Amino acid sequence: MEDTSEAVRKIIEGFGSIVLNVEAVHGLPVVKVPKEDLPVIAHFIHTAPSLRGTLSLQWAVDLRPGERRFQLYYLFSLKERGDWLVLLTELDGDDRLFHSITPHIHAAKWYEREIRDMFGLIAQGHPDLRRLVRHEHWPKGAHPLKKDFPWNTVMERRQGEYAFRRIDGEGVLEVPVGPIHAGIIESGHFRFSVAGEPIMQLELRHFWKHRGVEKVFENLSLVNGVSLAEKVSGDTSFGHSLCYCQAVETLMGVEAPPRARYLRTIFLELERLHNHIGDVGAICNDTAYALAHAHCARMKERIMQLNDRLTGSRFLRGVNIAGGVTVNLWPYHLDEIVHELDEIEEDFTELTQILFNNASLADRLETTGVLNERTAWDHGVMGVVGRASNINRDVRRDHPFAAYKDFTLKVPVYHYGDVQARMRVRIDEVHESIDLIRQAHERLPEGAITAACLPAAHPGDWALSAVEGWRGEILYFVMAGQDGMIHRCKARDPSFVNWPAIQFAVLGNIIPDFPLINKSFNLSYAGNDL
Amino acid sequence: MFRILRKSLKTGIVTGQHDASSTSTPTVAGESAEKARSFRRSLAIREVDSGSCNGCEMEMNALMNPVYDAERFGIHIAASPRHADALVVTGPVTVNMEKALKDAYRATPDPKLVIALGDCACDCGMFKGSYAVTGPVERHVPVDVKVPGCPPRPAEILQALQTLMGHAGVAVKGRALKPKG
Repeated sequence: MEDTSEAVRKIIEGFGSIVLNVEAVHGLPVVKVPKEDLPVIAHFIHTAPSLRGTLSLQWAVDLRPGERRFQLYYLFSLKERGDWLVLLTELDGDDRLFHSITPHIHAAKWYEREIRDMFGLIAQGHPDLRRLVRHEHWPKGAHPLKKDFPWNTVMERRQGEYAFRRIDGEGVLEVPVGPIHAGIIESGHFRFSVAGEPIMQLELRHFWKHRGVEKVFENLSLVNGVSLAEKVSGDTSFGHSLCYCQAVETLMGVEAPPRARYLRTIFLELERLHNHIGDVGAICNDTAYALAHAHCARMKERIMQLNDRLTGSRFLRGVNIAGGVTVNLWPYHLDEIVHELDEIEEDFTELTQILFNNASLADRLETTGVLNERTAWDHGVMGVVGRASNINRDVRRDHPFAAYKDFTLKVPVYHYGDVQARMRVRIDEVHESIDLIRQAHERLPEGAITAACLPAAHPGDWALSAVEGWRGEILYFVMAGQDGMIHRCKARDPSFVNWPAIQFAVLGNIIPDFPLINKSFNLSYAGNDL
Repeated sequence: MFRILRKSLKTGIVTGQHDASSTSTPTVAGESAEKARSFRRSLAIREVDSGSCNGCEMEMNALMNPVYDAERFGIHIAASPRHADALVVTGPVTVNMEKALKDAYRATPDPKLVIALGDCACDCGMFKGSYAVTGPVERHVPVDVKVPGCPPRPAEILQALQTLMGHAGVAVKGRALKPKG
């Protein structure tokens, strides 16, 4: 917090005459500035050597029916430790234009396109204003998150085609892939331009799975939103529901009891474990190493069966509620977890030793799909993918939530940025997760698992919450509405940030390596498309 | 190479080490049963995600792992709808996926089966009525079997597929990787 107030002081020092207002919202510094001056200040935060802020999230809020105004929020994570700072600007009345920060900050590119699609607010000076979420068959003027757009609108279909960036030239071919893929994977479209085998350009066309999650949230009460948060990205059900619950708890001014926070830590690490182990296997599978895949799938299945026995859900659904958790773990449960994990760790260690001794596997993984540190930083890449490219960020350490402040956490960081590095980050984190669960098991406090009462949230109040899911930093912005409803909920899966980066990681690689690179990122389509 | 083979030998066979499905078997109506008769011995499935949360995909993937090993019942995953006998559709059918789903259905050779997997595919789940959703699946393509659940467990999916293939007599009797409690 000291560093952050230092940042606020620096901004006031440089732009004192411009800044309209500085306040702290639930401990988060919010600097309000006029829209004309926002790009300059954002650029300052991004480039000043003492701040070096990366854009973590940008989102808009329609304040109607209460007030005829739109708000635009920009969340920056500063320097190594990732302290937060929010810039806020407002568009009054019928104003639909704001100034783009994308020319200076690449990470804003998709956010500004998303805001344009969802709110009809246009980022002036944005280099690429093609539609992002709205596919071409959507009617003109359909901006779902505007308050005057009914949630159950039936949209007519019109004609239209997305204008992909094209490379023309002799021998240059376009290879379209998707939206339906060959394996059992989610839907998304990839457009490769190749000359011979190496990829010259990859362009993503996602949002096939856009379900209107953020609009459906606005129909739910703060308490009931949890079950929708679980469905934002199924593989991260627990991470998303935890992040949502934390935001709601901040709004209600309650804190989950200590035991609940420890249990949340255990469950979150279990979710990380089964996904990471499954991913290591899937990476091996894409190099045709089927035996390693089978072993990993077996271990993953074992953890998912453990989840099922502990909570009645293989995906840990229905565990989180606002104010705590619904499932208590009894001593025999805890012994079972520790015993299972002891066996799995031994099993997994033995397997990874075999993997790292396999020269033909190393040949496929090393120097494949390199995402260099500069590109990763420019795009604000986070999570497993970021840590493999020397971005030393982990919410569990930088902004401890649940019970993480009680534990020591080693954050594995590699700087090669290739598939091998991403696999190594996962393997290291598997051991770290098992260790965290052991620590939590030893120190698990007694007591209640839910907060005694849930006070009503103040309408118009908002809170931001972050959780390090297994993919990376999950963010939720929740604004309370009238009568305990949600006015606005912005859910951000790390996939939304990391997807654009994959377009750079594949350059120069051959198309047959794309599935391998894509698997090493393993990003969510559902969490991205919302 | 020898080390991983040794590890596999040491691990032994894990197939079938899961709890048996506790849901009732789905009913397969007249015409669907008729169509399904051609696929008693083998069923090639194309999975189409029409907007799921990825939960159902994960469970479909789990179906192919060594524990459930659906291949031993002749169930396998085809890479293209043109090679498929059945479509397994997940998700509430988003406006953006509607056309792709119909295209995949048309590309699948007759006779074909459609399985709606998960609550979203069966009745749109929490997304019912949303501007971005036009489902459920049966609104767009004829559905032969519905497998509810959010998401259904792999054992339940396996049971439904076996019922469809007329394997009711050899339903899997599972046992968990580790005994309960």
